[in-house]
Amino acid sequence: MLTNPTGKVTQGQFSFLPDLTDAEISLQIKYGLSKGYAWSVEYTDDVHPRNTYWDMYGMPMFDLHDPAGVLMEVNNCRKSFPNHYIRLMAFDSTRGVESVAMSFIVHRPANETGFRLERQEVQGRSMRYTTHGYPMDKPENTRYGK
Amino acid sequence: MTASTQITDAKKRYSAGVLKYKQMGYWIADYVPKDTDTICLFRITPQEGVDPEEAAAAVAGESSTATWTVVWTDRLSACDSYRAKAYKVEAVPGRPGEYFAWVAYDLILFEEGSIANMTASLIGNVFSFKPLKAARLEDIRIPVAYIKTFKGPPTGLIVERERLDKFGRPLLGATTKPKLGLSGRNYGRVIYEGLKGGLDFMKDDENINSQPFMHWRDRFLYVMDGVNKAQAVTGEVKGSYLNVTAGTMEQMYERAEFARDLGSVIVMVDLVIGYTAIQSMAEWCRKNDMIMHMHRAGHGTYTRQKNHGVSFRVIAKWLRLAGCDHLHTGTAVGKLEGDPMTVQGYYNVCRDSYTKTDLQRGLFFDMDWADTKKIMPVASGGIHAGQMHQLIDLFGDDVVLQFGGGTIGHPQGIQAGAVANRVALEAMVKARNEGKNILEEGPTILKNAAKSCSPLQAALDTWGDISFNYQSTDSSDYAVTPTVA
Amino acid sequence: MNAPAYNLPGITSAAAPKADAVKNTAVADTGARTVAQVMAQTQVQQVMDALDRDLVGLKPVKSRIRDISALLVIDRLRLNLGLAAQSPSLHMCFTGNPGTGKTTVAMRMAQILHELGYVRSGHLVAVTRDDLVGQYIGHTAPKTKEVLKKAMGGVLFIDEAYYLYRPENERDYGQEAIEILLQVMENQRDDLVVILAGYKDRMDTFFMSNPGMNSRIAHHIDFPDYQEEELAQIAQHMLQAQNYRFDDEAQAAFDQYLHLRKQQPHFANARSVRNALERARLRQASRLFANPDKELTAEDLSTLNAQDILASRVFLPTKG
Repeated sequence: MLTNPTGKVTQGQFSFLPDLTDAEISLQIKYGLSKGYAWSVEYTDDVHPRNTYWDMYGMPMFDLHDPAGVLMEVNNCRKSFPNHYIRLMAFDSTRGVESVAMSFIVHRPANETGFRLERQEVQGRSMRYTTHGYPMDKPENTRYGK
Repeated sequence: MTASTQITDAKKRYSAGVLKYKQMGYWIADYVPKDTDTICLFRITPQEGVDPEEAAAAVAGESSTATWTVVWTDRLSACDSYRAKAYKVEAVPGRPGEYFAWVAYDLILFEEGSIANMTASLIGNVFSFKPLKAARLEDIRIPVAYIKTFKGPPTGLIVERERLDKFGRPLLGATTKPKLGLSGRNYGRVIYEGLKGGLDFMKDDENINSQPFMHWRDRFLYVMDGVNKAQAVTGEVKGSYLNVTAGTMEQMYERAEFARDLGSVIVMVDLVIGYTAIQSMAEWCRKNDMIMHMHRAGHGTYTRQKNHGVSFRVIAKWLRLAGCDHLHTGTAVGKLEGDPMTVQGYYNVCRDSYTKTDLQRGLFFDMDWADTKKIMPVASGGIHAGQMHQLIDLFGDDVVLQFGGGTIGHPQGIQAGAVANRVALEAMVKARNEGKNILEEGPTILKNAAKSCSPLQAALDTWGDISFNYQSTDSSDYAVTPTVA
Repeated sequence: MNAPAYNLPGITSAAAPKADAVKNTAVADTGARTVAQVMAQTQVQQVMDALDRDLVGLKPVKSRIRDISALLVIDRLRLNLGLAAQSPSLHMCFTGNPGTGKTTVAMRMAQILHELGYVRSGHLVAVTRDDLVGQYIGHTAPKTKEVLKKAMGGVLFIDEAYYLYRPENERDYGQEAIEILLQVMENQRDDLVVILAGYKDRMDTFFMSNPGMNSRIAHHIDFPDYQEEELAQIAQHMLQAQNYRFDDEAQAAFDQYLHLRKQQPHFANARSVRNALERARLRQASRLFANPDKELTAEDLSTLNAQDILASRVFLPTKG
């Protein structure tokens, strides 16, 4: 269990708050749709902070009017990958942005184990640091339970 | 031959003697600025008895080619194109004796990619000019033709977010306190606590460089240890702005390289290193994949008074071209100067793709930024979690909110201070996305979030009543609302 | 690990209270207690009036829609008082010949449902079998799901829905689409309303072979063919919209035309009327074209003559 004040991996917009209910997630999706963003569901069992590319659960969803479609995919992903981290990302295509506009975690494995810091002494007092996730020694899909 | 018209007969124009600036051709009333002209808006207070148009022409002259007497050597050049042209003068509403003067400068006057050159031209000479009691460079329109000669910010707002993998909310930071006096090891403790508790960045202060109480190498070593520990404990990308300001460029490069080798994502410089050093550092940061944080140290000496100096919006425009990724732009509700509308004007200058004229926010020109990268503005100075709703309402999501005292001074400790700020921020962003009116319901939202978060409750109890209500010294002359409530 | 306790070791602070359970109200009380209040809270009356005004004829359809709307208003009042826990099933089936207004009425229905709060946004997504069914294994499910996601929050209108079911071809993937539709129609009633449409006899066959689909349809509405007077009225609307008019002989000729055309095969009601008017316009244009030196007044340009109508094949005596 992580020792930071929340006990969770605190990536995403709302990690310091209690887990969002489906109704609250719908409101966030609605906000993103109202701004013209395209939502995408992604999952992973490697939450290293520098792991940019989680696996996509289906393509990003363009041209939607209603949160129900996105929430349907989130729930399907939860059923398929109950022991993975799942997040929702919103893509903004306006000129000058063309990047991700919103990102928050909607599902976590039951037991988050976190990372250890590995230090390698180099010259003088300098160190090289690596963050190493505990489950990473196991193969994909077995890291947080089957 | 009156004193107010341009003399076009060459023989009369160039016989030795003193002429009025208007006669010399620096005032052209019907001039239409070209798209490639730089236009400056000066706020001038002429001495008694000086005609405002003549004063404007004098400003145009003294910031381009003129000197106080006629010189024959002018005729060796195509001098008409090198003269700046003052073309409009208007009285400032509500301030007798002050005038706005518009002056246009041809593109050929400025060296490509050199803010040092542009500033030397525009503000290098004219501000000491005796016939003016006071002068201020209020705003500037830089043409696309000149903007394209600059590389702009080394990283930019969008790429910074992609590197940190943090989207959809403001970033949080804190300046280590006390500003001076901690040893390297104790300094690193503050960094670790703040980052572990939930902040995204910690910050060196502007005057922490390398003093007897802490050598810079020790600070960097201990800070990076704290940063990496915090990253492992939280699973987020963390950073701390390591101040690489030094006495010479060579030393600055040495410090920046050490920061890079230790794995920092960001370095920090102070404005006082000068525009040339800033541009060099921006080049270095781009080559080394670093974010560059700019502290606007010293700007208050010349940006704060309405009648004399250079407005901060001009400085922000110059810095965006010279290249920095973070820039302190004011809080409006904190301890340092800045009325909300004017401060929003600075934020617009940093973040716009196309800045629009907005007199109430002090923006006098439309300016196309030609896809120059955007700066992430930084709000720092006397703000606390209880003001979160005002800050998000004023500034939106693309801002770094720095709560130095508001984190370190928390009664339950630094981590608790960080938790309080982060919970307040996330709760406010969530509520705003859900459609609530955060300006009205802000205090309620904070109170509800504090019900399940005791550090936030303690923060609200400690600082809930603090605000800084002083008359702003520099609000827009076109403002309809009074300054900060 | 639902709500973090923000416990910082060594700090004594009050235990974090449990977060309030989020009340899961599927339908919120809007506060209305009379029919007039429900009507006032929404724009249903305007949409109904627009329906009456803009669509010619369709008396039985309009009266069914009024009944359904009344039912929805009463259901809203029942929901407000907590008498009903779940919103009613709203899926519908429109049967009738082509050109009888099914798609148009479906769009108006989407607006009415939106005004009464039964769908979240009033948009309509109109599809046919090809939009739902794939050409190879694994193609259908994502295709159908895409369409469903785009339609959620509004109304999905499936024209000629019976083509989904092709029992004679064992490699047909339509059944998969039907399964997915059935599931969504049952489990996500709050998110989507489905309206099927097509010829009455073929829809009846489709429902007999797919009783699951039949049981989920709450309202069947039949769209009768237009009467001749109604078709004439539709023609008038279309002409006026484009600034044309019949002179008296043309009017009589057109009435005769309608009478003959209705009896011929492939009559598509309002669509056939539109096509006939288009052809009349063409003939008028040719007629005027033949006289290049005549100065044409607005009257000349907007009047259709009898000969523009009578030139139609419909009047040829060879057809019985």
